[in-house]
Amino acid sequence: MSAPVVQISHLHFGPASKPVLDNINLELEAGHFLGIVGPNGAGKSTLLNILAGLTQPSGGHIDLFGKCLTRFSRHALLKQIGFLNQLHDHEPRLPMRVRDVVAMGLSNYTMPWQFGDHDGALMSALQLVDMQNLAEADFRMLSGGQRQRTRLARALVRQPRLLLLDEPSAALDSVRQEKLFQLLRRLCDETGMSVIMVEHDIAAISSHVDSVACLNGQIHHHAMKGEDIPEDIWRAMYGDHIHIMAHDAGCIGCGPSDVHKPHDHGHVS
Amino acid sequence: MIDLLTQFWVSAVMREALIPALLIALVTASMSVMVMAHRLSFLTVGVSHASLAGLGFAVTLALPLLPTATIFAVLIALLLALMPKKKGISEDAGTGMLFAGSMALGIVLISNAASSEVDLFGLLFGNILTISSAELNWLYLLSALILLALFLAARAWWSIAFDAVTADASGLPVSSLKLLLYGMVGLTVILCVKLAGIVLTAGLMILPAACAWIWGRSLFSLWLLSVIFSLAGTLLGLIWSYAYEWPSGATVVLTLCLFFMISWCSNWLKCKLV
Repeated sequence: MSAPVVQISHLHFGPASKPVLDNINLELEAGHFLGIVGPNGAGKSTLLNILAGLTQPSGGHIDLFGKCLTRFSRHALLKQIGFLNQLHDHEPRLPMRVRDVVAMGLSNYTMPWQFGDHDGALMSALQLVDMQNLAEADFRMLSGGQRQRTRLARALVRQPRLLLLDEPSAALDSVRQEKLFQLLRRLCDETGMSVIMVEHDIAAISSHVDSVACLNGQIHHHAMKGEDIPEDIWRAMYGDHIHIMAHDAGCIGCGPSDVHKPHDHGHVS
Repeated sequence: MIDLLTQFWVSAVMREALIPALLIALVTASMSVMVMAHRLSFLTVGVSHASLAGLGFAVTLALPLLPTATIFAVLIALLLALMPKKKGISEDAGTGMLFAGSMALGIVLISNAASSEVDLFGLLFGNILTISSAELNWLYLLSALILLALFLAARAWWSIAFDAVTADASGLPVSSLKLLLYGMVGLTVILCVKLAGIVLTAGLMILPAACAWIWGRSLFSLWLLSVIFSLAGTLLGLIWSYAYEWPSGATVVLTLCLFFMISWCSNWLKCKLV
């Protein structure tokens, strides 16, 4: 049996008196699609940054592909990992084509003596996100959603074994969101790539992921496919002043206490 | 016109100045797009003015002018690269302080220097026509270093300019590459001093890319247009300076300013009409 793609044991980050992440334990097999939900400031992005090797944990142990994370060189780690960080501004004045932006994800992009033909990898990545017709387009002229899909293609262009996504559906409309989650599900099933995705909308991801980890400093609950997330978990994460919503399938979700709009939340179907 | 060009070409002084001037134009234009992409225009102003202190030390201690100024400019640029992170001072404030302090130090040192041979006007406003063979060798060395750095790091610098956070996540050593960029800006500033002087160097470092930015539609076209504007501006500027006996550095910068105004107005008209 092959080693887990990710094995996190007793991970700790931040000062002992007020840890950002405390005693995190997770295990991910090849092809597993994990969603992480939690309130703002819960440590979700920090966890992804630690896995991407951008932030050093204060304690604990992480194995990636059966090898301790600290034993990976930066270059070796990046060959295996694709990372899409939270949406942020890029330099808006640079006349970059879509293909230039995607090419930045290639490990040999920065080496001038390795100007080899990247077209195959670039076009495959763009095709995955349905952007192949916009390869020559000016990135500055794209909509927010098209830019986000381009950034996703950049994360996918190296065909990573582990994909880390921090709110990838930000700026996408609901149809594109659904297409994105379907694509990630397909990549997990067909290529064995594992995905860890931070998202806020559990209703949107619940039918695609294999499991959902509820994170707020600690992992309060790790719900496997078909499992409900108990009401007390939502309260532990978001506080008591929330409106808990149940729907006909017996699932539980939450929203602000002054909003009574029913949602299909909380069930990993 | 033909007579003027013939006279320009047969003039030994002009012919000797032409190759180094065009080399400076080529290297500066290539770095100019990086300066614009990384929003380092004020840094070039600061480093060029701060290099007066380096020249002051050279004059006071009877050291070679350009090498001493080069070391000083690179140190100032690296200090500015490190300062914001270490001291919590914003980059523009740090640049402003070093700019004023170093320039004041340079003025005091030069005014106290016993030597009356210092060509202060040449230092401040440049004079490519008086370039010596030692200075020429120094320019060749600096040009080779800057072009090599551009060849090796240009793509990485573009990536960082576009999205530093993702560049970091993609494994680029962003801090080291930024230090290298700042160091190369320091070298380029010194390269320009002989042509445009301390006061006008920023014009050579900013204007070619500013013109290119109006027309460029890809990274390659930005670089190419910047080089074309810079070479054309330098050549035309030298010809005009010869024809009207104007200072060469100032005429080159004025020509580049003219290119920018024509580009900007043409683009404005194009936007209005289309």
